[in-house]
Amino acid sequence: MNQIDLTVNGRPERVVVGDDDLLLDVLREQVGVTSAREGCGVGACGACTVLVSGRSVSSCLARAVRYDGADIVTADGLPVDDEVVEAFVDNGAMQCGYCIPGFVLMSHELLRENPEPTPDEVAAHLEGNICRCGTYPEICAAVAAAAASRSAGAR
Amino acid sequence: MTQVDDGSAPTAVGANWTRADGRAKVRGELKYVADHPAGRVAHAAAHRSTRPHARVLGVHTELASQLPGVLAVVTGADLHKALGDRMFTGPAFSDQPPLAVDRVRYVGEPVAAVLAIDPATARAAVDLIQVDYEDLDPIYDVQTALAGTSFVHDELKPSAVFGDLRHLSGQSATNVCYDYSLVDGDAQSATEAAATTVSGEFWSPPVHHVPIELPCTSAWVEGDRLEMLTTTQTPSYVRQTLADMLDLPLSRVRVRTAPLGGSFGAKMYDRLEPLVAALAWTQRTSVRMAANREEAFLITTRHGVEVTSSMSAGADGSIVASTADVRYDTGAFADVGPRITAKSGMVAPGPYRVANVAVRSRCIYTNKPSAGPFRGFGVPQVTWSHESLIDELARARGEDPAEFRRRNLLREGDVGAMGTPMHSADFVGALDAVTEAIGWNSPLERPEGRFSRGRGVAVGIKAVLTPTISNAVLQLNQDGSATLLISTVDMGQGSDTIMPQIVAEVLCLNGENRIRVVSADTDVTPYDTITAGSRSTYHTGNAVRIAAEKMRDKLLELAAQYFQVDRSDVGLVPGGVMNARTQEVRTHAELLHAHFGARGTTLTTESNFSTQWQPYDKATGRSPKVTEHWFAGAVACQLLVDRQTGRIVIEDMAVAGDVGRAINPRLVEQQLTGAAIMGVGHALFDEMVFDQGQVVNGTLLDYQLPSVKDVPRKLTPIVIESPHRTGPFGAKGVGETGIIPVAPAVANAVRDAVGVRITRLPLSPERVLDAMTEAGVAR
Repeated sequence: MNQIDLTVNGRPERVVVGDDDLLLDVLREQVGVTSAREGCGVGACGACTVLVSGRSVSSCLARAVRYDGADIVTADGLPVDDEVVEAFVDNGAMQCGYCIPGFVLMSHELLRENPEPTPDEVAAHLEGNICRCGTYPEICAAVAAAAASRSAGAR
Repeated sequence: MTQVDDGSAPTAVGANWTRADGRAKVRGELKYVADHPAGRVAHAAAHRSTRPHARVLGVHTELASQLPGVLAVVTGADLHKALGDRMFTGPAFSDQPPLAVDRVRYVGEPVAAVLAIDPATARAAVDLIQVDYEDLDPIYDVQTALAGTSFVHDELKPSAVFGDLRHLSGQSATNVCYDYSLVDGDAQSATEAAATTVSGEFWSPPVHHVPIELPCTSAWVEGDRLEMLTTTQTPSYVRQTLADMLDLPLSRVRVRTAPLGGSFGAKMYDRLEPLVAALAWTQRTSVRMAANREEAFLITTRHGVEVTSSMSAGADGSIVASTADVRYDTGAFADVGPRITAKSGMVAPGPYRVANVAVRSRCIYTNKPSAGPFRGFGVPQVTWSHESLIDELARARGEDPAEFRRRNLLREGDVGAMGTPMHSADFVGALDAVTEAIGWNSPLERPEGRFSRGRGVAVGIKAVLTPTISNAVLQLNQDGSATLLISTVDMGQGSDTIMPQIVAEVLCLNGENRIRVVSADTDVTPYDTITAGSRSTYHTGNAVRIAAEKMRDKLLELAAQYFQVDRSDVGLVPGGVMNARTQEVRTHAELLHAHFGARGTTLTTESNFSTQWQPYDKATGRSPKVTEHWFAGAVACQLLVDRQTGRIVIEDMAVAGDVGRAINPRLVEQQLTGAAIMGVGHALFDEMVFDQGQVVNGTLLDYQLPSVKDVPRKLTPIVIESPHRTGPFGAKGVGETGIIPVAPAVANAVRDAVGVRITRLPLSPERVLDAMTEAGVAR
């Protein structure tokens, strides 16, 4: 067993993990974060997405022991006035909602790297996330709205 | 004078209320079943059959039992000893054991269960279990099943749920568990005499629902009661099933749900619940079972269906005959396959005026994972047949496929082949709307060379499940907020949003975010048949409307007392009640406070809404009232076919559904586009692939689902409203309407683009290229 330190949504967490323990399971069962969820177990659906230092990670494939010292953000830890969250809410970009936190975090990663993405760039970045309800049109509209709202705020 | 809320009521119906818990969903704060803390439980895992069809001679559990951390190993024989034949459950036939007893019927069937201190130990232990098998002849497809040399079940044992299956009780030496026929006129003679006849062999493969939330069930024993938290669309059914299995009164079984992370029919009837309940009850411990994705593929599927069919036109361009032989592959357990077989068989001729009809629709056991309900309830598979045929029939006559359909579509008041009249089913309106939206009548630019462009259209018809029952309990809180108790499960369709809109409309409440729907809990929320078949808006919506109307009556009575005037002198106004004589207004909060003399009190009403049908005529399969109402939908699309690779790119798609009245137009549009996108998957790539009964693509690395890149470049949802005379505010459901015609609309556009009729789904690049090669079409 290994003791590791994480920062999860700004809060320090000290957890004890086995060599094979997955970051997803550690976050859910030890830290108590349930916004990252298992959908496929093979990194193919994006429901388990978390941000580590701003970069997306499929936590269902990530061994927790490798993340000692990591700064992790999950959807429930975003600021209350987060533009991406607001844009998703305003555009009705959710049906069952199970996969949506993963899309929100992927959108964050995209907009940090590319503040004014084209529709094709949005699709390319979100392609690995699956919404079985088919909320893609609303999600794409939300990402565009979040980009617009950020660039308006920056002016 | 009191200030009354200047809220949006009474125009809640028709408004785009924000989805209940929308923000909590986006932030990931909403708790699904698996997000609830499990506490100290035994984690369950199943050892699964490696044989498609075999006798179980022995189950060796010793090594598994000795693994540190294993709490118990339970076999089918153990459960049979404890529960007897009550362990066999199912909505149509009592054919499904939670663990195989003496025989396995598909690769992946649970044979033994391990309870352990954590999921990893449970999964490690199941690999240590060994089973001795004696192989039986396996049945991999419906043709072998119909040949009747080997049988999946020795004897048919209908459960009590379907009264119309009693005649099958005790039958043996058959794999056909339901045989529905529809006869109207003389289809054979009419076909022979027809001016033009087209025919085909159609195939829709088994596919999987793949809701991203995985099945998860927890059960525990509290005193003399069994309690459960589970991912189900059918809590009332599950309670009854568990009570029967454990021989308990309903009051000693509690089934709770949470919002579902999608379902589409996957989380219905008997999934993990009977096994987890049996384990918790017999081992007297708390049990949690969470399926992984590979297991989820084995728990239920959508029926693979073969259709042999024909459609004939007279010289005048009317449809004179339609025939169909429909064969549903229901796998090892009937599940609700018999109902699917009848409800879909009766619409196999499509939404058309057809003079002579002959349909045979059979539900057939095979040694594969069980098939059950999936958005559309078997109807997309017969629509694949009739919408391909009618397209060919139009072309054979040299007519425009949309115009030929239009002339022959059923109109208001027309009696369909199944004997029931049409109402609030605007097929023509839906067809016109989608063709107009994609510019059907504008010239189509047909490029030369590698890419070919085409347009296609299709129309669908489906009946709502009838008869069914819904109940509602409404509590108006003293502050004017409300709590609604129903057993409808919100799995993304939006029931937790639109049911409050109905309450707000009736009661003139400013209700957005002030009317809470309680998650289904059989200790608390009243009976509801199922959340499925697009039935909730109409049925539960009507129950909610009635409960709200009773509440309105109570409020007016209280208001009359309060103002000391006649009942006819008071009325509801937005946010409160008014004395019509003095124009004096009191808020709900003031009125209720005055009545009870306390804050925080509640006023309660309850209601029931049930529908009736007339069973199928035994000889003809017809019924003057087979359903409470119809769903009418249409899809049109324009696409490009890459003649070199066979790849299809959908440039434009429009999807329309007649919803009677949209309670929340934005959510209705989401149902239409969401269904269309799921339907694009079924048209282009969704398919469960089996090799000797074994699923070979049961992971999300291997099973392709529509991603953001598969969305048509332009996708237009169109809401058609022809109000239903008894719908709540005229409304009907919409969950399935959009998906039904998608695949044939795409195939019809491919036919238009490259001149090839493809009759087997999905339209994968390989299949498109093979069909072009076979037809001698230049690539």
